[in-house]
Amino acid sequence: MDRNVTDLSAVRRPIEQANGLPNAHYIDPSLFEEEKQALLINEWAGLAVGADVPEIGDAVPMRFLGIPLLLVRDRHNAVRVFQNTCRHRGMILVDAPRKIEGAIRCPYHSWCYSTEGRLVSTPHVGGPGQNTHAAIDRATLGLIEVRSHVWNDIVFVNISGKAVPFEEAFAGILERWKEFDVPMYHGGADSRIHFDLKTNWKLAIENYCESYHLPWVHPGLNAYSRLEDHYHIEEPGKFSGQGTHVYRQIKDDDGSVFPDFPGLSAKWDTAGEYLTFMPNVMVGVQRDHMFAIIVDPRSLDHTLETAHIYYAQPDVSESLRKKNTEQWKTVFQEDVVVVEGMQIGRNAPGFDGGRFSPAMDGPTHLFHDWVAERVNAHRASGQHAAE
Amino acid sequence: MNDLDTRLLAAHEADDTQALVSLYTIAADQAGTEQAMGFYLTHAYVFALELGDPAAPVLRQRLIDMGRETPL
Repeated sequence: MDRNVTDLSAVRRPIEQANGLPNAHYIDPSLFEEEKQALLINEWAGLAVGADVPEIGDAVPMRFLGIPLLLVRDRHNAVRVFQNTCRHRGMILVDAPRKIEGAIRCPYHSWCYSTEGRLVSTPHVGGPGQNTHAAIDRATLGLIEVRSHVWNDIVFVNISGKAVPFEEAFAGILERWKEFDVPMYHGGADSRIHFDLKTNWKLAIENYCESYHLPWVHPGLNAYSRLEDHYHIEEPGKFSGQGTHVYRQIKDDDGSVFPDFPGLSAKWDTAGEYLTFMPNVMVGVQRDHMFAIIVDPRSLDHTLETAHIYYAQPDVSESLRKKNTEQWKTVFQEDVVVVEGMQIGRNAPGFDGGRFSPAMDGPTHLFHDWVAERVNAHRASGQHAAE
Repeated sequence: MNDLDTRLLAAHEADDTQALVSLYTIAADQAGTEQAMGFYLTHAYVFALELGDPAAPVLRQRLIDMGRETPL
């Protein structure tokens, strides 16, 4: 594929002079492939949540960036991610979510793997009824495991295996939000929200970064959360997002609220913060619930989003939970028109990436700058030319 | 086609793994040659392994004793 090597110098300028990423980063398939490697495969990307495999033996096949993966909760209750491909002839091992009662059996020649990925049986490999062969060393033929890390039930993967450790990559967020390093309970089926978007994945992220759009796109917030109640959260090269000083707990018809996460400081009585674990996980924390939105780039202009809502206890009110899901769904739905509209807008040849408001768009610029910095580093590494 | 073959085919058709464990074990026990026994035991073992059936370690041990498998 011909490479479009974009000039990203304008993105990296101070916000007062900067432009956003060039159109090609949204509409050119070669740039999608480049960013896939530089931003999603080389870094820690969100894949799923532990609640997708709630019980031991649960296995869910998924495609991420085209790569067949298998999310499994192993016999020791650890969540693991494997490449969903048999080490024998490359057959897909699991084609639909199911419970692994004993072993993962390849449907082709029945090579079997434990839920820890160990190759445990190779039937007839040495001839009929002979299940070993000197040339087949099972110890070296286990499932290929993808480096993963679970934070607050969110399953991150580093497919290249070469990123810095998770705790180092996200040290700033983990420190900022250390009070939320507590047990989190997924609200269940009614606490998942799915969106199928006709847009490039980055537009979903950048819209989440800033509060500038809130009074226009989410007018319902104006009643209690005005623009001036919000603040930017900016850590160049690391993360960005926004916060509010006036988080208001949702109440049920009888006035009841969700229980708080334990041990929070007074700041969180009225604060809510919304950050992106770059590249693709958007997380919001408030005193009584957390949400995580995993952005799944399916192609250049097709993106799936799944939001998961978590609570401080496993048995919170169902009616209030549904009300909360509906409230967030309404907010997220209001964003669809802009994230899809910006994608269409990127097809205007005269658009130069756009300008940023120095007062209001700082977090968005930081995301663009992070993308530019990582893409440039990828190009400089020589990996770009080898793809 | 004998009755066992018929039942095996039906179990495959129905994806009845538990029945496959039992029927392949019977086939192994009725086999006329050691190679045939090894073949059927292998199938019984693989399906038991997939199922997490308690028969799996027993079947594996039979294969090990025949020199057709190694210990885990």
